[in-house]
Amino acid sequence: MLAEVRTGLAVQVRVVQALILRETRTRFGKQQLGYLWAFLEPGLFIATFYLAFLVAGRKLPMGMDIVTFITTGLVPFQMFRSIINRSMTAVKANSSLLTYPAVRHLDLHIARFVLETVTFSVIIGVILGTHGILFPELFAVPDPLRVLAGLLGCALLGFGAGLLLASAAVLFPSVERVQSAILRPLFWISGVFFTANGLPPAARELLMWNPVLHAVEIIRDGFFSTYRSEHSDPTYLALWIVAMIAMGLVAETIARDRLNE
Amino acid sequence: MILELKNIVKGYHSDGRYLPVLKGLSMSFPKGKSVGILGRNGAGKSTLLRLIAGTDQPDSGQVIRHGRMSWPIGFRGGFNGSLSGEENCRFVARVYGQDVDYITAFALDFSELGDYFTRPVRTYSSGMRARLAFGLSMAMEFEVYLVDEIIAVGDAPFRRKCRRAFQERRERASLIMVSHNIKTLVSNCDLCAVLSEGQLILYDTVKEAEAAATELNEA
Repeated sequence: MLAEVRTGLAVQVRVVQALILRETRTRFGKQQLGYLWAFLEPGLFIATFYLAFLVAGRKLPMGMDIVTFITTGLVPFQMFRSIINRSMTAVKANSSLLTYPAVRHLDLHIARFVLETVTFSVIIGVILGTHGILFPELFAVPDPLRVLAGLLGCALLGFGAGLLLASAAVLFPSVERVQSAILRPLFWISGVFFTANGLPPAARELLMWNPVLHAVEIIRDGFFSTYRSEHSDPTYLALWIVAMIAMGLVAETIARDRLNE
Repeated sequence: MILELKNIVKGYHSDGRYLPVLKGLSMSFPKGKSVGILGRNGAGKSTLLRLIAGTDQPDSGQVIRHGRMSWPIGFRGGFNGSLSGEENCRFVARVYGQDVDYITAFALDFSELGDYFTRPVRTYSSGMRARLAFGLSMAMEFEVYLVDEIIAVGDAPFRRKCRRAFQERRERASLIMVSHNIKTLVSNCDLCAVLSEGQLILYDTVKEAEAAATELNEA
């Protein structure tokens, strides 16, 4: 029995690896420059927001500059959103590969999740690393593990939400509209433009229901020696992740039956 | 015995109603014999093949496999159109944990695709797709090849080549093939079964199956 589970798991790992390699080809294209495009898109996004912050003359909390503030908030949110979006199209884009019995629907979601997480982690690492070399005095990072935990939290939350939304969309096509109706407002309340500490208490009480904000706060708490997040709660975030993934897995089982018909 | 089907029930939901396609069919497939399954369009041939391959699960009943089954080798194939034939082969070799270089080399040689091997599959004709699908599956050394019509696609020399390849590995490999065309089955199979009304009936010879099928068609 145990041996069976182990070979089953080995097959799944193999399948997901093969899918990731396959996805890499279609995600980044065949040119060597393909991977560069992956940086260019968020790079342009960051540049736009950098200018917007400059023009607006937005005051940032002590010890944060615009680039680090964006990279610890906007980019993790982008990762969260991108994982959901990629999950929504995972099955449709790969339906021909479901011909092979070893390839399961869930593997398609996992492969895309892993690829997005790795891509965005590299993007964040490169931006922060370059920034750290240019401005070493700003680069202390008291708790890098906490930064990673926050990033992983963002990614896993995206995985659960993506799985849930993608599966729900199979059963109820209108979910595709619900998705953007959720993600768009979420963009404004997930700490991309503010820190929880800096919010008025009434607003904060409301916004701290949002698990993405918790993840962003945890990242910043670990990254900035001058910022101590007083209101984020890793347990609360973990509960959301577990609940989302559990619901996503259940929905996926139901959706899979429907898709096979 | 290479494969046993026990009381397989499979149906679909349509407008809130359940429509059974396979209604408790049972059959044993003898080892080393190639079996053709004849059925009209919509009889559930492809569904049955997917259940045998394991890409789909029956609503009830059991599929007991005693050998390595291929995936259902069919027209549409498990190919991603934007990737090349080679990349698709690499993917499948990885999924099955096989030697990637060996599999791609074998598939290239068998399919005779030449330069097209490195071009996107979406540029292939249906015959080229079929050759790739078949070449790739022959590279994988399955014990049972599950074929959905496809042999009829290739041209005559390629069909001969497929038959030869099968005969060479008769000892080790057999064929389960579904088709609506009796002629395809006659030239490839030892036994023939007819799938009709959600039941599968095995006949000793293709001739008997043909007679039964004609009777069904006329009824």
